Amino acid sequence: MDILEFKDLKPVPDIIYDYNESYNGIPVIIDNGSYHCRVGWLNQNEPSLIFRNLIAKPRKERIKKDCPEGSQTPQLQVGNDIVNIEAVRFQLKTQFDRNVVTHFEAQEHLFDYTFTHLGINTEKCVPHPVVITEALLNPNSSRQLMSELLFECYGIPSLAYGIDTLFAYHFTHNKPDENALIVSLGYHTIEIIPVLNNCTIFVNARRINTGGYHVISFLHRILQLKYPAHANAITLSRAEELLHSICAVAIDYKEELLRWTDTEYYENNIKRIQLPYSVASTSALTVEQQKERKRELAKRLAEINARKREERLAEDEEKLNQLLTIQEMIDVDDDDVDVIDKVLTDHQIKNVEDLHKNINLLHSRIERTKEKIVAANNVEEITVDEPTPAKQTKFNKMVFENEKAMHVFLQNVKKMRQDILNKKSARKQRRQDMAKRRTAAGQERMRIISQLARKEKGHDDFGLRDEDWDIYKTISREGGDSDSEAENDKLMELDDIIRAHEPSEADESLTPGESYQLHIGIERYRGPELLFKPYMMGSSEAGLTEVIGYVLSLFNAKDQLKLAANVVLTGGLANLSGLRERIQSDLISIRPFKSYLHVGIISNPSLSAWYGMKKWIKSADLKKHFVTRQEYDECGSEYFKVHIASNLYVPSPRGHIIDICD
Amino acid sequence: MSVENNAKSDTRPVYKATTFQHTSKSNNKKRAWKSLKQIISAERTLPWPEDYVHYSSINAPPSFKPAEKFSDLSGLAAPYTDPQTRLRFANKEEYATLIGLPMDITAGYLALRGASSIVG
Repeated sequence: MDILEFKDLKPVPDIIYDYNESYNGIPVIIDNGSYHCRVGWLNQNEPSLIFRNLIAKPRKERIKKDCPEGSQTPQLQVGNDIVNIEAVRFQLKTQFDRNVVTHFEAQEHLFDYTFTHLGINTEKCVPHPVVITEALLNPNSSRQLMSELLFECYGIPSLAYGIDTLFAYHFTHNKPDENALIVSLGYHTIEIIPVLNNCTIFVNARRINTGGYHVISFLHRILQLKYPAHANAITLSRAEELLHSICAVAIDYKEELLRWTDTEYYENNIKRIQLPYSVASTSALTVEQQKERKRELAKRLAEINARKREERLAEDEEKLNQLLTIQEMIDVDDDDVDVIDKVLTDHQIKNVEDLHKNINLLHSRIERTKEKIVAANNVEEITVDEPTPAKQTKFNKMVFENEKAMHVFLQNVKKMRQDILNKKSARKQRRQDMAKRRTAAGQERMRIISQLARKEKGHDDFGLRDEDWDIYKTISREGGDSDSEAENDKLMELDDIIRAHEPSEADESLTPGESYQLHIGIERYRGPELLFKPYMMGSSEAGLTEVIGYVLSLFNAKDQLKLAANVVLTGGLANLSGLRERIQSDLISIRPFKSYLHVGIISNPSLSAWYGMKKWIKSADLKKHFVTRQEYDECGSEYFKVHIASNLYVPSPRGHIIDICD
Repeated sequence: MSVENNAKSDTRPVYKATTFQHTSKSNNKKRAWKSLKQIISAERTLPWPEDYVHYSSINAPPSFKPAEKFSDLSGLAAPYTDPQTRLRFANKEEYATLIGLPMDITAGYLALRGASSIVG
């Protein structure tokens, strides 16, 4: 059985592309998805930039702590600059809320990143028309701020909006039929969009608010709960890697589950994934090393203290000498008052008495320091002479007279260990019994409680004897005593002794790293199944097949036939293996008997929207579909031009412009 | 403040307008951007034409089918529920592991399934 390993792919920071005259007026195509943003020039075959729509913004307090001078500007990481996404997981921000752009400061950072890496260097404007994708039925207020940002901050000459899914279908699908039921499986949402006669039927479209992101976090969480010891090693990016490498959609989920109960099937289909690990050095060594290190540290500390003391001594002595010379000066000639005064003030001394006091003080201080130095030297000798007594040898092998004595001793230790374990399990059992009402223990407890609560007038002698209080121990759920710390310590100690004297084979048979393996079985199918059963994560919305059925039911029988004949999957998740077959088989079960049905996947589902946009511009009349700066000024910031792959333009009711801020 | 401004203008790309400020942000820097939920509810209060389709009006319908029960631990079909922890389990081996699980793990499973609320 192969053991898989995580690749942990890291994004490569983008280069800054060359920008020159030849790009004059060439449109920029931006597929602004909530997972990836794909950007490129119209005259290129592939998008030049593909990056996660994310920024990592360090928090303010953090910056201050890291560079107290404030000299460094805050390190903002954008898109592919974020090399290790797990390191900044808690600082990540995106401009998206679900699949709608709401955070325009973040969007501004991402546009900065985009245009900078395209190499644009023109003064005060980006002289290129822009085509950008937006969500299906994007709220006007979001579009309004997007237009505002692009026209006023970046000074673009013209702009067009469209829906990524529709661009992908109408312009990259081979022979796009005029009727289709498009299923777009995105990062945050799944959209089911009916198209009849090349017209998007917005009223009957539906959106499931469960997407790749939810599948990934579901997978992440079930693995973390399955392996709590490795919770930190199981990261979201690794869950994402698993989703794309080994996960699949089961054609019949129930049948798949049944198969997994068979041990042989389990053994044959389970995936073993190795987490990175380092071989831990043996504990016996580390105990020694730790002691050694501690001793060294203590020694160094003592040295530092000694040096400090010496320094202080020297300082004091120097000062004493100075003061003594002054005193001598005073003693020799009393006449030169001015000079003496000056010298005294230099040493911050008020008068001669003060001088005497200072000298005495210094004398006693020097005396004390000298004593200390002597004492410290003695202590040092002691510690060096006597390296850690008795305690160290505790777990090392005891010496026995013969084999038999050792055996008896070990037997004893094992018995003690077993006793503790028994006590523990008895306590656990008792706790469980207490919690239930019907067990004998539970009923006994209730009986005692009711007896305690009974009031008998006249003679209440409870508490006369000390033992009376023990009754509370009996009725407490813990049973009076719980797993004590001391007991756990003792258990560990006993374990250590047993291990030291007879190393068990069980320990060695374990190959290094086996405890660092994830066994992924049903989870391979359980994760993606979330798309069909959002209730697995507590959502009340219907699953993918149910919603497709629902959307179909909104049409008359004739249109239903047209739509079911051309179901098209797109979006990043469409590549999941088994997804097409699953939807096909599910649809067969809900469609009328023998009615025609076809489910297809768009080619290259992740990038098809970008290719579609490119093709659309080539076929489109730029004047007819792009809003120019002038039109933007005239018609307002929410205005855009409708085309085959766009939303509907419905101006917000007059005088009711929504402020997107609080 | 001035230092911050200097730093900003240093890194500001040449192609950007120097005076641009987000209109709805201009008065107060501290204000947060509205969440999608707030935008939707604000939008719904407006007098839209009758046939206008909102972002929120294409939400998927609730499921009309009863939710199937799966074991929280293994994912297998689960006929049983442990009355103490409320976790679902498929067989007695799972029950044996289940009763030994610490509280944080059982709570984690319930939260993942969205069943941790006391009322639900």
